[in-house]
Amino acid sequence: MSNSVISVISRFLEEYTSTTPTKLKVVDSYLLYILLTGALQFLYCLLVGTFPFNSFLSGFISCVGSFILAVCLRIQINPQNKGDFLSISPERAFADFLFAHTVLHLVVMNFIG
Amino acid sequence: MDHSRLLGLWFFSLALAGAQALTPSHHLSLSDVARLQSLLSQPFTDLESAYYSVVGLTKLGAVIPDQNEVCHFLKSELDPASVDSLFFAVETSQAISGCEIPVSNETRDILLAAVSEDSTMGQIHRAVSALGSLGLPLASQEVIGALTARIEKEDNVMAITSALLAASRLSQQAELGGILEEIEDLTARLDDLGGMYLQFEEGLEATAMFVTAAYSLSDHVGVEPPLKEDQVIQLVNSIFSKKSWDSLAEAFSVASAAAALSSNQFHVPVVVRTHGPATVSHSQPTLQLLVTDVMSQPLTSANVLVESANAASSKSSILSQAPFTLNDGIFEFNFMSSQPASGYYQFTIAVTGDKRLVANQVELKVKVSTEVAVTNMDLSVVDKDQSIGTKTTRVDYPSKAKSSFVADSHQYFAMAFQLVDVNTGVELTPHQTFVRLHNQKTGQEVVFVAEPDSKNLYKFELDTAERKSEFDTISGTYSLCLIVGDATLENPILWNVADVVLKFVDEEAPATIQPKTLYVPKPEIQHLFREPEKKPPTVVSNAFTALVLFPFLLLLILWFKLGANISNFRLSPSTVLFHVGHAAMLGLMYVYWTHLDMFQTLKYLAIIGGVTFLAGNRMLAQKAVKRIASEQSSRLAKYRSLR
Repeated sequence: MSNSVISVISRFLEEYTSTTPTKLKVVDSYLLYILLTGALQFLYCLLVGTFPFNSFLSGFISCVGSFILAVCLRIQINPQNKGDFLSISPERAFADFLFAHTVLHLVVMNFIG
Repeated sequence: MDHSRLLGLWFFSLALAGAQALTPSHHLSLSDVARLQSLLSQPFTDLESAYYSVVGLTKLGAVIPDQNEVCHFLKSELDPASVDSLFFAVETSQAISGCEIPVSNETRDILLAAVSEDSTMGQIHRAVSALGSLGLPLASQEVIGALTARIEKEDNVMAITSALLAASRLSQQAELGGILEEIEDLTARLDDLGGMYLQFEEGLEATAMFVTAAYSLSDHVGVEPPLKEDQVIQLVNSIFSKKSWDSLAEAFSVASAAAALSSNQFHVPVVVRTHGPATVSHSQPTLQLLVTDVMSQPLTSANVLVESANAASSKSSILSQAPFTLNDGIFEFNFMSSQPASGYYQFTIAVTGDKRLVANQVELKVKVSTEVAVTNMDLSVVDKDQSIGTKTTRVDYPSKAKSSFVADSHQYFAMAFQLVDVNTGVELTPHQTFVRLHNQKTGQEVVFVAEPDSKNLYKFELDTAERKSEFDTISGTYSLCLIVGDATLENPILWNVADVVLKFVDEEAPATIQPKTLYVPKPEIQHLFREPEKKPPTVVSNAFTALVLFPFLLLLILWFKLGANISNFRLSPSTVLFHVGHAAMLGLMYVYWTHLDMFQTLKYLAIIGGVTFLAGNRMLAQKAVKRIASEQSSRLAKYRSLR
């Protein structure tokens, strides 16, 4: 049982390192970074308390929002999904990503207090 | 649901109608009549005031003094060319005896000429009245034609009232039906005020003259006016509610209405009220009623009957169909002969004997009062453990017990008595039966309620130990008083029964109130800011700051491992501008956090964002062109290699 799980995971990692384009790996590591940051903020909130609650909210919203935008970017620039996004070039996707980020962080900054 | 609501409404209105069997609440009392007479007896200055005074006084049944002088005044003031002047003089002369106004043929022609469609309604009325009083011939049918035509033109209350008055002077053979219908039309125009008053918005004079005109025409024709009983009572209320009259004309109208309402063929409102208070007792056993018309003239021909008398508390009937006897204008009824218990009784009284009577069913609340006596007053001091036999002292009203009673904390003081009706010997339970203990030294009063037991024996026990808090534990001599009172008692009792010495155990010095402390300034109110929330230790927050920054390090390491680089970076103006724009936006976000508000931020963001957008567009377009070109060339190379 555990063997099969390990083998599945190792197989997955192998496939991932060999087949995924470097560009996507860069985005994936960015996603991991955001995920960890958000998780740590949440952990702080659980352990220490919600005290400045609006700061916690803005930080956490920033993480969640950024994560979602990055996932969108990753879907759009993945060569395997090229058929679904014929009209959207990778550059267009990146520009959308940046624009959405600007709006998101305007809200986040407004919340930070 | 609608049905049930309608039914409920119907029952409600039925209950309401039952509750307020309308009776006149205003009438002219004898003093009102006297004031009205004195107002009308003012010396008159012209023919109009003479008319109002003399005719008004006649309506009230008063005697006109100096009739010859009045007649002389009329003759000297008469203007034979004026219809108004003729009307006032002729009508006034009719009211006094032996005064005849001479008329010439010209005068008659003037009066006859006034009876036409072209005159106003008032002129027609006055001309017709003057002609009628002078006994001059008149074509009634022509007058009716003129009146009917004028009603079309002058559709106001005063004009139609004048038409009614004029019609009542015409021949009974004429077709007065059309004019008679105007009474019903005018009745529909009356305003109802709270179900109590019915009046024209034109004022008291219009209402009073309408009543006068309606009854004089109805009497003349012999047809009952279309007024319901309630409407008659409401008219009575509105006409006689005003007790000070503004003008001679208003006083005249009230006098006319009073005369019309007390002597006509159809409706005579009855005013029933008690002579003095509505109370009977053994010393005053008769209930006395004044039954009068609206001018306080007794209706001696009427029969007054008690239809029913019910006790207000139990609703049980005590008598029915008992007649009042007339004694010197006052109707009397000996209620005590039916031996009622003390209390309140609801009487329904009917006035009969004349079918004209209106409001002849009257509800009356009658009080039967009596005298109370205190009997069997026993006082004793009882030991709680009952080891010593109790010694009872009897005290008789109104004397005071000779010796005072002493009760300490191991004893209680007991008091027992009965309250009986002096006249019948029946036991009574008045509303208020109190025992008051009054400290002779400090003036403190403690009041207890004495309650009767099932045999109507009052018992009051004072447990000295239990009740000490109510006496503030102040020992001393208290005077004991019995207080008996009730609305139906003629002799309320306040009886100092005895002196009682109460001894309480743990006597404390009474807390002296220092009046000074009352005026000491209150402590100043400090404003309290919201307390800051507890912050975690600095170490913890710093550690977490580092921990939150750590994934960024991880990101850099990962990127480094993956071989991310900036080799694709070209130093072209658009590229530089794009990256600088982004950095500026990031900076702006920080400044927004620290300094700016949203509007300023949006303004700056629009500038920076615009520049960045253009630069980014250009940069990404170049990149796209390059990428497509490279894709194409690689495809081409692939294609070649395949070939």
